Amino acid sequence: MTEKIQLTNKVEAINWNRIQDDKDVEVWNRLVNNFWLPEKVPLSNDIQSWATLTEDEKLLTMRVFTGLTLLDTLQGTVGAVSLIPDALTPHEEAVYTNIAFMESVHAKSYSSIFSTLASTKEIDEAFRWSTENVNLQKKAQIIESYYHGEDPLKRKIASTLLESFLFYSGFYLPMHWSSHAKLTNTADLIRLIIRDEAVHGYYIGYKFQKGLEGASEERKQELKDYTFELMYELYENEVQYTHDLYDPVGLSEDVKKFLHYNANKALMNLGYEAMFPSTVTDVSPAILAALSPNADENHDFFSGSGSSYVIGKAVNTEDEDWDF
Amino acid sequence: MKSSKELPAQFQGLSYNDLNAMLNLYGPDGKIQFEVDRYAARQYFLDHVNNNTVFFHDLDEKLEYLVKHEYYERETLDQYSMNFIRDLFKHAFGKKFRFETFLGAFKFYTSYTLKTFDGKRYLERYEDRVCMVALHLARGDEKLALHLVDEIIEGRFQPATPTFLNAGKAQRGELVSCFLLRIEDNMESIARAVNSSLQLSKRGGGVALSLTNLREHGAPIKQIENQSSGVIPVMKLLEDSFSYANQLGARQGAGAVYLNAHHPDIYRFLDTKRENADEKIRIKTLSLGVVIPDVTFELARKNEDMYLFSPYDVERVYGQPFSEISVTEKYYDMVDDARIKKTKINAREFFQTLAEIQFESGYPYIMFEDTVNKANPIAGRITMSNLCSEILQVSSASEFADDLSYKTVGKDISCNLGSMNIAKAMDGKDLATSVEIAIRALSAVSDMSDIASVPSIADGNRKSHAIGLGQMNLHGFLAREHIYYGSEEGIDFTNIYFYTILFHALTASNKIAMERGETFDNFENSKYASGEFFDKYTEQEWAPATERVRELFEGMHIPTQEDWKALKASVMEHGIYNQNLQAVPPTGSISYINNSTSSIHPVAAKIEIRKEGKIGRVYYPAPYMNNENIDFYEDAYEIGYEKIIDTYAAATQHVDQGLSLTLFFKDTVTTRDINKAQIYAWRKGIKSLYYIRLRQLALEGTEVEGCVSCAL
Repeated sequence: MTEKIQLTNKVEAINWNRIQDDKDVEVWNRLVNNFWLPEKVPLSNDIQSWATLTEDEKLLTMRVFTGLTLLDTLQGTVGAVSLIPDALTPHEEAVYTNIAFMESVHAKSYSSIFSTLASTKEIDEAFRWSTENVNLQKKAQIIESYYHGEDPLKRKIASTLLESFLFYSGFYLPMHWSSHAKLTNTADLIRLIIRDEAVHGYYIGYKFQKGLEGASEERKQELKDYTFELMYELYENEVQYTHDLYDPVGLSEDVKKFLHYNANKALMNLGYEAMFPSTVTDVSPAILAALSPNADENHDFFSGSGSSYVIGKAVNTEDEDWDF
Repeated sequence: MKSSKELPAQFQGLSYNDLNAMLNLYGPDGKIQFEVDRYAARQYFLDHVNNNTVFFHDLDEKLEYLVKHEYYERETLDQYSMNFIRDLFKHAFGKKFRFETFLGAFKFYTSYTLKTFDGKRYLERYEDRVCMVALHLARGDEKLALHLVDEIIEGRFQPATPTFLNAGKAQRGELVSCFLLRIEDNMESIARAVNSSLQLSKRGGGVALSLTNLREHGAPIKQIENQSSGVIPVMKLLEDSFSYANQLGARQGAGAVYLNAHHPDIYRFLDTKRENADEKIRIKTLSLGVVIPDVTFELARKNEDMYLFSPYDVERVYGQPFSEISVTEKYYDMVDDARIKKTKINAREFFQTLAEIQFESGYPYIMFEDTVNKANPIAGRITMSNLCSEILQVSSASEFADDLSYKTVGKDISCNLGSMNIAKAMDGKDLATSVEIAIRALSAVSDMSDIASVPSIADGNRKSHAIGLGQMNLHGFLAREHIYYGSEEGIDFTNIYFYTILFHALTASNKIAMERGETFDNFENSKYASGEFFDKYTEQEWAPATERVRELFEGMHIPTQEDWKALKASVMEHGIYNQNLQAVPPTGSISYINNSTSSIHPVAAKIEIRKEGKIGRVYYPAPYMNNENIDFYEDAYEIGYEKIIDTYAAATQHVDQGLSLTLFFKDTVTTRDINKAQIYAWRKGIKSLYYIRLRQLALEGTEVEGCVSCAL
């Protein structure tokens, strides 16, 4: 890092009894409820399924996950942290620290997948690939440069596009596998990540819109133009990246639709209109339905733990409850 | 598949996966697209099944090939004449069976049907599987085989997965699905338990083990204090055993462990499921169950501490393993006995911890020990349940020599299951025959099973002939008849239906006992032999309380007090063949094939998202549901625990074993709400509780648009 991010000017004790923005509490509670660790998911049940993938498919899968690891590392160590100084409320700061931590959990989860499914040699090769792939490096660099930039709102834009758009070229694959009955436990784990990223992107986008309130029309226009420019730049790069990865297995067309779908979602999170018409966002229904972040799927002891459980709220029972 | 049902233009080019997934996305008119799933099923046959099925010119060629290449068991077919077999298959195919849903078809072809050894091509259609199951179970009895084909293919009876999957195949696992083992407080018994777990999960089903008798963490070994490491390392051993063994890759081995609430390791046991548990003690795939006696509820009511008792000391003081002691009965004696080491925790805190863990993991299951034993008609004590918390049978301890051979063979438990589809059984109008055929089929499975690798199981089965007839599709039936689940009429129906089933089940078992001149072992000491069991039916009239339920049973005979008196006399004279008759399992896979709602639960969702190890995400519409009657398909989360428990309570009073009962909550509840539900269940006489399920909806603004399961 070339410059030090100044985290905060003065330290103020955070008072959760004085809430300026209810959204902070809502999101904090949701994130805490959603806390999880990769050890929860019985990934080893996927070993047999992994063996049924072709060499091309295995290579693709490894690369997709290394790409995701890189993005999560970036978001955990730089991205979410860089948002802290711009926080409008102390509670917002607290939410970012939670986001930063969970991003690191995500980055570590991919390693759990690797170590369960692949050999050390394969893992090392995939990581080497991630440092050499031009498109992957480019997207990391674009985002990182904005994190180090001066403008707090631009940082939020970059962050939202990362959380709500850039991850999804990677998320496509495990959803695809799971709709074809492959790597279903890995898909469970990815769905937990998606569940988190959906909240992260939504929240940062929301804070961006908050920050925009009261800005001049000129400034609003500047930021809007900037958003769409950045989106185009990232989109161009993402299309290249997609072809690079998915051409050998013939999935590029469908992945691109998925990119359009999520680009629209990212823009929506920032409060802007959609960029792609619905004719190019018709993602395969199997992928779309698999994406549902709701914790309502049904499973039993033969099929692993699913993404359904949350940390509960403990409340004492009272005498009246025991009145029998 | 009929060519007249061409795929409409807007669906052209979509794969069966896509078509099925569209069930979970609203159509352009804002309604659920039920028809797409039928297209998905059809497309699945056209694109996949038909192209991948091995072709034979006729049945003779097919059977000859399958026997010769060791796909089918020759012995199964040799019991019948070829003419009969031809007629039977013709009869079955003449029924024009069609899968109602994509998931039904997909599940059958992925998990049940016979495939070539390379796993690539299908050798059976649904009708073939049904015939082979019938031929295998009927053991040469043509009439029974024909009856069985009718019952199964018309959907009234569905054998459990291991039976339906394996019967008639040459390379196969066992026909039995469910085993329960005791572990005693010595190394030989633990080692035997690990070995038995390996052997049993290799052969087909779930294994549950009781840890209650194991000495606690820090207990003495050879009188030296602080030596034992308690139940956790044993759980680790078992967990690894189950993931190692699976049934020819057909499904993962699965296991459960039960522990009494008053065992000193109880908190350690529960903490293994904590989200932030250390990897060394974390238990991922083993299911947990807690055995709770009445006294624990009493202590919590008074907000007192509850004492935990060292099983090591209890066994020395009473000369019996801890599980054989009724904690409720002996609680205050043990508290006052200085020879028994004890620790204490707060009883309400215990229940709260239980609920916290259930939030995070869905576990543990709960067995209400005293309720179970009070309702048990068989001599002996019930100390644990199984992987689905519906098997409740007596057991006794084995003793081992140093080389792990048996000094005395105790009694462990196995249970083979099968379920009736309530809607189809009611449509059939002949519950007596349907139940009798089902009881005969299940008894045949018991007779044909001999698990030589675990003598205590083989011996237990030989003596008890225990079976578990289950029920499913209650919600589907009620909704089809425009009755709300948990309403007065819904509960009335449940009561009368289960009442009638019990009568016919006992009648059938009594009939078999007379035919063979044989009862289950120790019948003479049961409440059936003393006649006590029948009191509640002979001394009191059971009849429909509502007009609607009377209508539903029109044309069917509901047993009267006189009928019961006659049955009682016959049972007391001739006995019954099966030690246990009913148990209502959760019915996962088989209810999809059979187009049923699971067990007697409400649906978990109108369009259920099913995640299966072998299938991935698949969508399943509730049976008989359409855009007109959709209001009757309130899901379990909306219905709430009271109505579910009331429905189960109505059924429980007529079921000798248990019923898998899952509780469903929205994620806005607290541990207190879960505790309240548990207290309610216990007071209502429920015997056991299965999973706790939570539904968390996506944060507003983050959901997938137009998605059925998101917009509830």
